[in-house]
Amino acid sequence: MNRKHFLSSLFTTGISVKALAATLHNPDPSIRIPQHLKPGDAVAITAPAGHITVEELQPAIKQIESWGLKIRLGDTIGKKDFSFGGTDAERAADFQRMLDDPAVKAIMCARGGYGSIRIIDQLNFSKFLIKPKWIIGFSDITVMHCHIGSNYKVATIHSKMCNSFPEDWSKAEPLQRDTILSIKDALTGVKMKYNALPHEKNRHGIIEGTLTGGNLKIIENLAGSKSEIKTAGKILFVEDTGEYLYSIDRMFWNLQRTGKLSQLKALIIGGFRIKPDDPGEEFGRTLYDIVWEKVKTYNYPVCFDFPVGHQRNNYALKCGVLHRLSVTANGVELLEV
Amino acid sequence: MIKIPPYLKKGDTIGITCPAGYMAAEKVQTCVEALQQWGYKVIAGNTVGGKSTTYFSGTDGERLTELQQMLDNENIAAILCGRGGYGMGRIVEQIDFKKFKRHPKWIIGFSDITILHTHIHTHYGISTLHAPMAAAFNEEGYKNEYVQSLKKTLAGKRTKYTCNAYELNRKGKASGTLIGGNLSLLAHVTGTSSDIKTKGKILFIEEVGEYLYSADRMLYQLKRSGKLDKLAGLIIGGFTEMKDTKRPFGKTIYEIIADVVKTYNYPVCMGFPVGHGKENYALKVGAVYHLNVTPKKVMLEETR
Repeated sequence: MNRKHFLSSLFTTGISVKALAATLHNPDPSIRIPQHLKPGDAVAITAPAGHITVEELQPAIKQIESWGLKIRLGDTIGKKDFSFGGTDAERAADFQRMLDDPAVKAIMCARGGYGSIRIIDQLNFSKFLIKPKWIIGFSDITVMHCHIGSNYKVATIHSKMCNSFPEDWSKAEPLQRDTILSIKDALTGVKMKYNALPHEKNRHGIIEGTLTGGNLKIIENLAGSKSEIKTAGKILFVEDTGEYLYSIDRMFWNLQRTGKLSQLKALIIGGFRIKPDDPGEEFGRTLYDIVWEKVKTYNYPVCFDFPVGHQRNNYALKCGVLHRLSVTANGVELLEV
Repeated sequence: MIKIPPYLKKGDTIGITCPAGYMAAEKVQTCVEALQQWGYKVIAGNTVGGKSTTYFSGTDGERLTELQQMLDNENIAAILCGRGGYGMGRIVEQIDFKKFKRHPKWIIGFSDITILHTHIHTHYGISTLHAPMAAAFNEEGYKNEYVQSLKKTLAGKRTKYTCNAYELNRKGKASGTLIGGNLSLLAHVTGTSSDIKTKGKILFIEEVGEYLYSADRMLYQLKRSGKLDKLAGLIIGGFTEMKDTKRPFGKTIYEIIADVVKTYNYPVCMGFPVGHGKENYALKVGAVYHLNVTPKKVMLEETR
C-alpha cells in the first residue's frame, strides 16, 4: 500500500495519529508528506522576502515548465518595496493566496534575502493543513521550514530557488543541472540519495532520523519564538554565508545553550562561506574547531562539507522526512527512507 | 527584590579583567590612572594586555579563572571589564556565583558584557552596571560626563539623565526595573539560561555596525519571543555605524523601531545616550528608574 495515500486516507477519516505509531516504524508518525506532483500540476512562485523581477525568473519558469508542470506567478513577482518583494501585506497576501489555492500543488519561493519573519505570523495555515502542499526554498525561507515543521509537522523542501536556475540550460555545468533536477526529483517523489566525500573531521556512525535544519542565523533568530526549530531525536543540518568565525561560534553556542545539540541523532554541517577576520581580530579557530568544541561530549555522527548551502553544490533536502545517514571512512550517504 | 551591591568608598579596590576580546595594556593605562585619581586601588588581571596572541584576551580557562577570582576575592569591590568584543558567552555558564551572591559587587561593562548583565539579572537579581569600559577613558574621555557618570554611580550618587526629544518618540511616563544592553546579544541569549524577562520593565537597547535588515530581524526576534509587548517603556540608545545593503532597506533605524512597536502604547525614546558612541551614560541594570518622554525632552531618573 502506498504509505502516502494510506496516511491521508486515515487523516480524512479522523483516525488518531497516535494509533499509527505502532503500525509504522516512523519515529514521528505525525509528519505529513504533501502529495508529489504529476504532469500538469501547478507550481506557484512568490517572493515572501527579497525583491525579484519577472525577467530574473525566466530560466526557472522555462525549466519547471519543461518538467511538465504549470507555473503560476504571484503578484509579488516584480513588486518592490525597497529590498522587499512588495510590502509586508502584499507578500503575506500573495503567499496566503497560494497556500489557499487548491490548484497550487507547490509553492516555490523566488529567492531569499530578508523578510519571511515579517509575514510569518500573518499567514493562516488552516487550508494548507487540510491539504498540505510543498513549500520550497532556503536561506531566509528557513523561517517557513522551521515554522511549518514545528507547528504543523508538514514536510517541506530545502533547496535552491528561482534565482539559481542557469540561464542557458544547455550550457550549464553538470553540478548546476544536477542540483536543479534534485528539486524535480523531490517534487515528483523520487527517493533522495546523496553522497559526500569522507572528511577527516567527521564522526562516524549510521543512524535514522527525521531531517530538519536550514540557515544557522535564521535558526538562532527563531529561538524563543513559536517558529523555533525542534531538534530532539532528529538529524540537524545547518549552513550559513557571510558570517565571521566569531559570529558562527556564537551561533553554535546559541544552539548549544538552547538545548538544540544535546539530543540530536546526527549533525550535518553544510557549506559555510566565512567572512574573513578583520586584521588584528583573527579568531584562531576553524569551523571544525568551533563545531567539535560543541559536540565533543556527544556520540552522534557528525559530517562536514555536506552539499547544502549558499553554493552551487546545494541539493534539495526534504525537511520533516525520515532519512538514514551513514558517515563512514568511505564517505557520507544520506538516504531518504 | 533587586539587590544593590555596596557603593564604593575611597580606598576600595576595582579589579580590571578582559573576559572577552584582547586589549593592549597601553589602552588601559589611562583608565587605571583615572580610577586611582578617583581614590580607588586598581588591580589589573593577567588578561589585561596579557601574552595572548589570539582574538581572545586569554584562553576560556584563563578568562574564566580570572573573572572567578575577582568575583570571589572579598577585597575587590567592583569588577570593570576592560572591553567587550566577543567571548563572554563562551564562559558564562561555568562561572560560580555562590560567593558573589552572598557578597554582591559591581560588575561594569557593556556590549558583549550584556550576557553577564542578563545572566546575573535573571538568576541572581543583583544590579550590574552597564557603563563605559577602559577605552572610553582614553583621549581625555575620563573628563566627559559619560565616564563621569560611572564615577558618580560607583560612589552611590543617584543619577538623573536628560536628552533631547526625537520626532519618533512616543510620549509618556513609565516606572520600572531597567534592563537591556546590546541588541545582538539580547537576541542571541533568547532561549538560553541567560535570557531575560521584560514584562513591566523599561528595556534599553543599543547596537553598532549592524546592517539595517539585520537589526530589523533581531527586533522581530525580541518581539516574537514576547519581549516587547508588555514593556513599561523602551529606550533606544545609539545605533552607531549602521550599514545598509546594496538594495537599500528604505527606513532609518528609528523608523524600523517605531514600526516594530507601533501596536503598543508605552513610551519610547530614540537616541538616548547609551551605546558604542562616546555618549554612554552609566545605567544600573536591575534598578528601578522613572522615564519621562515629553515633547521637548527625555528624562531618566533612578528612583530610590
